[in-house]
Amino acid sequence: MTTMRPAEWPLPAKERIWRLSLFSLACGAAWMTRDLRWDVVWTTAPALLQGLGISFLLAVTSVAAGMIAGMILAVARTSGPFGLRHLAIGYIEIVRAVPQLMVIFWIFFTWPAVTGRGMSPWSAAFLSLTVIAAAYLAEVIRAGIESVPPIQKESAFVLGLSPFQAFMRVVLPQALRNMLPALIATFVMMFKVTSLVYVVGIVDFFRAVVIINNREFAPYALYTTLAVVYFACCWALSWLIRKLDPNYALTS
Amino acid sequence: MKWSIAWEYREALLNGLMLTLQISAVSIVASTIIGMVVACVASLPGFFARRIASAYVEMLRNIPVVVKIFFFYFAVGLDAIPAAMLGLTLHQSAYIADVLASGFRALPREQFEAAYAVGHSELQSFVHILLPQVFRIVMPPMITQYIEVVKNSAIAMMIGIEELTFQTQQIEAETFRGFEAASIATIAYIVIALVIAGSMGALANRLKAGIT
Repeated sequence: MTTMRPAEWPLPAKERIWRLSLFSLACGAAWMTRDLRWDVVWTTAPALLQGLGISFLLAVTSVAAGMIAGMILAVARTSGPFGLRHLAIGYIEIVRAVPQLMVIFWIFFTWPAVTGRGMSPWSAAFLSLTVIAAAYLAEVIRAGIESVPPIQKESAFVLGLSPFQAFMRVVLPQALRNMLPALIATFVMMFKVTSLVYVVGIVDFFRAVVIINNREFAPYALYTTLAVVYFACCWALSWLIRKLDPNYALTS
Repeated sequence: MKWSIAWEYREALLNGLMLTLQISAVSIVASTIIGMVVACVASLPGFFARRIASAYVEMLRNIPVVVKIFFFYFAVGLDAIPAAMLGLTLHQSAYIADVLASGFRALPREQFEAAYAVGHSELQSFVHILLPQVFRIVMPPMITQYIEVVKNSAIAMMIGIEELTFQTQQIEAETFRGFEAASIATIAYIVIALVIAGSMGALANRLKAGIT
């Protein structure tokens, strides 16, 4: 595992020039847009923060549940019996090939229409995000498992561990370590996908902004805030990826 | 089940499919061009060129595509279809730039130098020597990116564009036959993904055959 690298300090001259110009660009943009109605953002901040909290909550819970389902899918795909393996492959590939909105619609509109039992927006949102996360995480976990050399598993068998023990105690810890950057990347992706539960009516961050804009009509200020906050959240997380795995980003 | 609904609403579904394909095709072409330019900037030797390219990629990659589409539609005030195309293009161009830049990095520098030494101009060595090899390297991730464009085009329904996903919701609202409509749309999306993967794979094989 790559260790966290401390930043070189003092920063090189070019780096300092770059950061200074980015900072002054941001200040200039703020100055030029000072006439926009930023006060709307300020007065509705509690509602916006609540929405942001709901977005995070949905992302965290769906990734946690998707992790468990994804692990089962990954194991089924790599070492399941004949039929089960193909079911897992079919699930993973279909969910990944179909628009995320379509998955949400299947669970929120189509499924109740067929079974005749309604579903609350919350459970529909949680379930559809979990379905999406499970498919993507299954591939991440599979890549992680396959990155562990087979000799590790064989050695565990030789030492007398059962297949389950060998997987849980030897293969999985190493796989988790290897797939940590991809795991965070999937979390970032899921955080962005939570903006789509807008369609089932949950007041997440995105819908909170849309509702406030419908009332106040300050589209520039509100949608810019929306973009900036999403950027800040996702960028902070992907900063973590770049620290863990320097080869991950374009700048490396 | 009442599959005749598919026949009754064939026109709506086909129009939706056409709109999905149009939006996706324009966005795929445009985002490939922009991604290529950004990847070229990222491969320039200077420090600031690389930083500008990575700032572009980071900025666009970390904002959900629906936020971009809503921004262009409601804040900037573009028409629905151009707003959706612009949002999709900008979103995917960042990912494609990243993929292409890693492709350029994977290519040995000698390839360019050798082409230049043999007497190709810079443009010729780029177009005839570098690009085919880069495309062969990046083909698998590019297939994913292009399928991603088609998937994200469903988000255009949220600003009222009547594409495939929108039509399934219409059918659901009018006839309560959402299952049939959603099945057809799902199959259509899977077929589009398979067509993209198949045709790009065939192109990759032809490029490979052309080089060796």
